[in-house]
Amino acid sequence: MDIGYMIEIFPKLISTLPISLLIILTSSILGLMLSIVITALRIKRIKFLSPILEAYISFMRSIPILLLLFLVYYGLPVFFSLLNLNMNDLSAIVSAMITLIIFNGAYLSEILRPAYLAVEKGQHEAADSLGYTSFTKIRKFIIPQMAPVALPGLGNAVIYLIHDTSLVFTIGIVDIMGKANLIMANSYGENKVEVFLTIAIIYWMVCLLSDRFIKLCENHTYLRKIENKRAFNSQSLKLHQKFTKRNIKSNLD
Amino acid sequence: MLAIRDLHLSFNGNEILKGIDLTVNKGDVVTLIGPSGTGKTTLLRCINCLENPSKGEITLSDLQLNYETISKKDILKLRRKTAMVFQQFNLFKNKTVLENVMEAQIIVQGKKKEEAYKKSIEELEKVGLLDKLESYPSELSGGQQQRVSIARALALEPELILFDEPTSSLDPELVGEVLRVIENVARSGVTIVLVTHEMSFAQSISTKIVFMDKGVIVEEGSPQFIFEDSNNERTKAFLNHFKSNQTVGV
Ligand SMILES: Nc1ncnc2c1ncn2[C@@H]1O[C@H](COP(=O)(O)OP(=O)(O)OP(=O)(O)O)[C@@H](O)[C@H]1O
Ligand SMILES: [Mg+2]
Repeated sequence: MDIGYMIEIFPKLISTLPISLLIILTSSILGLMLSIVITALRIKRIKFLSPILEAYISFMRSIPILLLLFLVYYGLPVFFSLLNLNMNDLSAIVSAMITLIIFNGAYLSEILRPAYLAVEKGQHEAADSLGYTSFTKIRKFIIPQMAPVALPGLGNAVIYLIHDTSLVFTIGIVDIMGKANLIMANSYGENKVEVFLTIAIIYWMVCLLSDRFIKLCENHTYLRKIENKRAFNSQSLKLHQKFTKRNIKSNLD
Repeated sequence: MLAIRDLHLSFNGNEILKGIDLTVNKGDVVTLIGPSGTGKTTLLRCINCLENPSKGEITLSDLQLNYETISKKDILKLRRKTAMVFQQFNLFKNKTVLENVMEAQIIVQGKKKEEAYKKSIEELEKVGLLDKLESYPSELSGGQQQRVSIARALALEPELILFDEPTSSLDPELVGEVLRVIENVARSGVTIVLVTHEMSFAQSISTKIVFMDKGVIVEEGSPQFIFEDSNNERTKAFLNHFKSNQTVGV
């Protein structure tokens, strides 16, 4: 094991991190937005749309993401040329993003829908009966109550998304994996373990970062506020008891 | 003040409300009684547009609407003149007691914060919960939750307040505190439509009793008339059943 070599290649690998981060951020944000639309449409149970959406979700869940990536990268230009649109220069990065967005649009809606259904009907009815518009109702009561249910699942989904970006080198994107391959090719296949270990550490760091972000969001949910309050109360109760005991003791002394 | 004409409603082809006519005057306390599954809750929910009647008209003070042509805007207008107290309380779980009472005043009615705060404190004091302002619903007993939900409704100063079995999901020892609060509301002159199985309570606070059975109003009148003087077989059967149940219970 050559730690010196790992330290040497680390900056080279990390220099490609912005590309991975760009793909991760765009795909998670746009994927989440798409999944919100899809969840809303699924909940509304629109007659003609429902079977199409279910088919879309089942398709996305069934095929390996690598295959989806190839389908988008090689397939979309063909598809567009059938429509007489020239899309031959669809870049690899855009293809990767489209792949991850349409995948997460389906996958995240499998997390959001149960979270929505977990909010009791009575919460909707209370807001309706008080005269809230449905937009305000959803913003003020439904999303905050969905959050603690959905966040752990969303957190996992981000981790999977980060893992999935390790496949985009297969369509020629020089992200961390792509860079690693280049480095290994240049060193004639030596020090492979060191290269892979270095990437593993980088992925680990990125995932830790995303975990922190999700934890931060979780700390802002109402359930956490109630928990914190309870913990604070029991702590101050303990303090109180401790001090009163001490007082009794000092009085006795 | 409230008038419902020829209200019909079906669930999956079953007609649940079969032509209801109901009039409520300002300051009235109208109590709906009747066997389980008769449509009392459904009727109450129609007044708040939580259900979708197939036919009928509703007039609430200056608002006159036909359920077949009702628009989203009309529904909001109707809901903003009324408030509902639910059997299951339905306090907003992600909001504190104070926020539950305060928010609709600010967001729905556009009141200033200080004004909404003052009103909330006033209403929470009436229901005896000033010491729970910062609590979340999950930290309260059922009786306390229901009292907050009454304060939340009253804080909006609705023209009409609807109670659907407000004490039915409470432990027996908590029923009293909620009934006392409702009694005070009734005494303050707010117009009330109430569904309850607490017969003696209904008898004591109502100005009018409406007896429903199988989706129709069988008869209505003063508490004295319905509970003592009615000659209607269905009314008498229902009330007798109740009396015998209650004596068995005791
Ligand atoms: N959402 C619904 N879908 C289908 N049927 C319903 C629905 N809500 C109520 N019903 C039916 O409508 C009828 C009237 O119900 P409702 O709840 O209004 O009765 P109720 O008089 O309030 O009874 P209870 O005293 O038990 O509360 C019942 O037969 C019930 O099964
Ligand atoms: Mg009912």
